[in-house]
Amino acid sequence: MPDPGDGPEEVPGGSPTGPSLDLTPSPSRPERARRRPVAVVAVVAVLVAVVAVLLRTLGDASLFFYEVSEAVERRTELADARFRVVGTPQPGLVELDVDGEPAVVFTLCAGHVLADVAHVGDPAELFQPGVPVVLQGVWVAGPVPGLADLDGSSDDGWHLRTDHMVVKHDNDYRGEGAELEPCGTGVAGE
Amino acid sequence: MGTTTGTAAGTRDTTGSPRSRLLGVVTLLAVAVLGVLAFVLTDPDVRIHPTTGEEFGQFDAVRMLYVHVPLAVMTYLAYGICAVASVGVLVKRTPWWDVTAHAAAEVGTVFCGLVLVTGSIWGRPVWNTWWEWGDVRLMTTLVLFLMFTGYLALRRTTDDPRRQARRAAVVALVAVLDIPLVNRSVEWWENRTLHQRSTIGELKIEDLTLFTLFFGFVTAGLVLAWLLLHRFRVGWLEQAALDHGVAAAIAERHAETDDAEVLRSVGERAAGEGTSGDGEPGS
Repeated sequence: MPDPGDGPEEVPGGSPTGPSLDLTPSPSRPERARRRPVAVVAVVAVLVAVVAVLLRTLGDASLFFYEVSEAVERRTELADARFRVVGTPQPGLVELDVDGEPAVVFTLCAGHVLADVAHVGDPAELFQPGVPVVLQGVWVAGPVPGLADLDGSSDDGWHLRTDHMVVKHDNDYRGEGAELEPCGTGVAGE
Repeated sequence: MGTTTGTAAGTRDTTGSPRSRLLGVVTLLAVAVLGVLAFVLTDPDVRIHPTTGEEFGQFDAVRMLYVHVPLAVMTYLAYGICAVASVGVLVKRTPWWDVTAHAAAEVGTVFCGLVLVTGSIWGRPVWNTWWEWGDVRLMTTLVLFLMFTGYLALRRTTDDPRRQARRAAVVALVAVLDIPLVNRSVEWWENRTLHQRSTIGELKIEDLTLFTLFFGFVTAGLVLAWLLLHRFRVGWLEQAALDHGVAAAIAERHAETDDAEVLRSVGERAAGEGTSGDGEPGS
């Protein structure tokens, strides 16, 4: 573009009156602002992702954690459904094979309610008695394998067959005087 | 320390200033001290179980919390600033508020992404999972991250700065409603999250652990302030460059008009001379 101070002889395009010189003003900006297709696609993608996350979160009832007492109460209702249950493993773990796969068998407790568990697969790295866990699996009719070796088993003719374990740690970071949920002696779950 | 950007007429060409450089130095020192506190001086989380007598806790993984928790709190703060500035955009309609909202949203989204990453790194050894679909705090945090990512994408869907600012402000004010859900989810839906209840609220932290966590808040706050300051200045320079570009375009248009008039007069004069037989046109 020419500088306002330049003379006419500096104008490119040959003769000032020649046919090659276009004096038509350049088009003005359109009334409606230009849209950017890539950004619009990005916004739509984000919206789809948000909806997917919400559906995934709200649409699956099995993502609730049942207390052991609730899981025992709803045993008939749950039938073959997969669900999550939170509780504290009791001391006395038994390692054995269940259906040809390595498993750990223990009793889960919350308050005074107990449930026997056969967890197939590797347990969590920090899994140990006294530390609450969230397990995912189904109710299975029949006593848990290795029942005879368990201390304080529920022994009620049912057990939980689980294959997904995560640890639910507490919110206490004090070296001394940490308070823990009592298990096997409390009244929770009544 | 400052970010150099393109010059615009009448504006500085860097986002740095003596005070921001001082802030940067203090921030770097704080990050270094936090690293020493979190990864060297504090003890791992090891306790003796009163029932089993065995060691339990988060062990060395707890050190990640000195970074993760402050980042989460500063994410809330950044998005809170964005929300306040978005109200300013809708009420005052000045670029200052929009640049502030944009800067806070961008820095907040970086922080929120880091919260998700550090939480995931911490969750693998402690929870036994990188990610847990259905965990209400993870999900609400992910939604927060996605909504502000959408906010940033939305800002680029149009060239019109005023429309861009208004739309983004509305989205920010909707997105920020997720923050109370993120924060209170562990209390409201305790059976839907692996996250623990509030530690500080229940005073279940003490001594050097508590000090380090608070120092983490201070450090993350300094990092946030430094990033916000520079991102704001970059935004302000962009705004100045935009204004400068508009002014230049107007000047060019005027120049085109002036040139056209000059050319027209020269052409007319040359045509007149040609008619009188004094010479060739354009000579």
